[in-house]
Amino acid sequence: MPKNAPGGRGDSSALSDAHFGLILALPAVLVFTLIVLYPFLNSLAMSLFSRSLLRPAQEFIGLRNFQRILRDPNFFGVLRSTAIFVAATTGLSFIVGFSWALLLNQGYRGSEVIRGITLFAWIIPGTAIAFLWMWMMHGQYGVFNAVLRSLGVTDQNITWLGSPAFAMMAVVLARSWQVTPWYMMLLLGGLQGVSHDQVEAARIDGAGNVRVLFNIVFPGMRKVVALTVLIGVIGSLQHFDIIWVMTQGGPARATATFAVEVYRRAFQDYDLGRAAAVGVIWAAILSVFVVLNLRVRAEQE
Amino acid sequence: MQSRLIDDSSIPVKVILLSGFLVIGLFVFFPMYWLLISALRPASMLFTRDVSLLPRGLTLDNFRTVVSDPRIGRYLRNSLVVSVTTSAVTTVICAYAGYSFSKYRYRGRKSLMFLVMTSQMFPFAVLLLTIYTMMRSLGLLDRYIALVLSFVTFTLPVGTWTLKSFFDHIPDSLIESAKIDGAPRLMILHRIILPLTIPGMMTVAVYGFVWSWNDLLYSLTLITSPDKRTLAAGLLMTYMGEFQQNWGNMMAASIWVSLPVMVGFILLQRTFVRGLTAGAEKG
Repeated sequence: MPKNAPGGRGDSSALSDAHFGLILALPAVLVFTLIVLYPFLNSLAMSLFSRSLLRPAQEFIGLRNFQRILRDPNFFGVLRSTAIFVAATTGLSFIVGFSWALLLNQGYRGSEVIRGITLFAWIIPGTAIAFLWMWMMHGQYGVFNAVLRSLGVTDQNITWLGSPAFAMMAVVLARSWQVTPWYMMLLLGGLQGVSHDQVEAARIDGAGNVRVLFNIVFPGMRKVVALTVLIGVIGSLQHFDIIWVMTQGGPARATATFAVEVYRRAFQDYDLGRAAAVGVIWAAILSVFVVLNLRVRAEQE
Repeated sequence: MQSRLIDDSSIPVKVILLSGFLVIGLFVFFPMYWLLISALRPASMLFTRDVSLLPRGLTLDNFRTVVSDPRIGRYLRNSLVVSVTTSAVTTVICAYAGYSFSKYRYRGRKSLMFLVMTSQMFPFAVLLLTIYTMMRSLGLLDRYIALVLSFVTFTLPVGTWTLKSFFDHIPDSLIESAKIDGAPRLMILHRIILPLTIPGMMTVAVYGFVWSWNDLLYSLTLITSPDKRTLAAGLLMTYMGEFQQNWGNMMAASIWVSLPVMVGFILLQRTFVRGLTAGAEKG
């Protein structure tokens, strides 16, 4: 039964409260329908057509776009690159973000300032972050190579963005650097919710740091961790900017994730049908994490 | 004083914590330092194998070039138009939706909340396939309204949820008593409720601003003429199209275009972080 909303009696307007509430939400619902709902359904349908970006004509071809994609060896490269990119960025930023949150949660002097400056990385435009990391990993003049040379790790310059494995490392590092502050912030929020009384009690029972972390802190943060990781995965599965600026998905498609691949097929090859077909597979993978995320959230309510 | 979560009274623990600070601090702060230093270095110190890590021989030349570059000025103006509009529109829409979800009960409310919450979870590039063709047939390609509509929609989940949590803290009795005094519902919202949630609205405004300021994918695609480009796409076109990249200028430009967001962020950091954490944790 709907809860009795504020008012109801004493309101002279002809509009019922329920209708008034609905009207307030209407603009949000309208833009959602126009920009998300309709485009999503329409793009899914696009995958069944042969359609170029340059001509309005389209021809229904059933599942042929999917057949072609699944026969294309490059497509499995995209699956692989996406998996590596998402797993590596999520893993790295989670570990670094969590450790950073633990350290800043200690309350040492200056922690607030450090936290504030850390967050800068997260609000700089992705394009600028890509420029910065390209410059640091520059083959000839980059500081990475200079440091590696002076440490004696290598005596030759590495052309980071020119080799498939190193290019993947480069985009993973840049993206992790961008989102680590965000992980730190959410996990710090979770840490501050850990019960101090429980920690004190455990200490009196003689628990050391390891036991406090594993028996109280980690279990107490299960939900925050689950949500953070899931939102992080969804974000990286969606990510476009840094990869596009740094490598455009290259070299040899080594860093072509789904976002980059859909963009390239649609707006450089002008093949909307096949871009949409890749998009459908991408959406299916994404939906697994979205559903998980919504379920964790529903539990929390 | 409360005791620390990790007991640091033993030497090994102190060493571990300190090395943690050093290693992660290096990862987090060195790139920022390098961005600043490179922006302040003359070309002769940038394009050399003898890379010096220390801040020596600094100059403002790169900044002078970038700030007086008419292209960068134009991108900044264009981005300002798009970001301010997005920011204003999204704040209004999210305030109405958040208030509706928080204070009214009607059939379908939960489903609508659920839908709006998922706006960031659909693959952006897939939506773009249709948004692009749709805007083209509506004659809105290369018009900022195409960008603003998209950005407003993508900032709905965080914006609505942030404001909803602010409205949740306002007691119903306040609205009730205004009603008994005979105030119309819309006036209650505008004159009484919204002024109480100004920190929340500022958070949403900054969030909308930052989202549009930083976006690359949509601005690269939906805006087609060079003089209408916004920042991210403009920088990409300007610097990556050149035969030889001028990294000093690129670093200075990166800082220059980040300044507006940084200033806004510093001013609003407290509410911003609180609002976003509330939004991200719950919705």
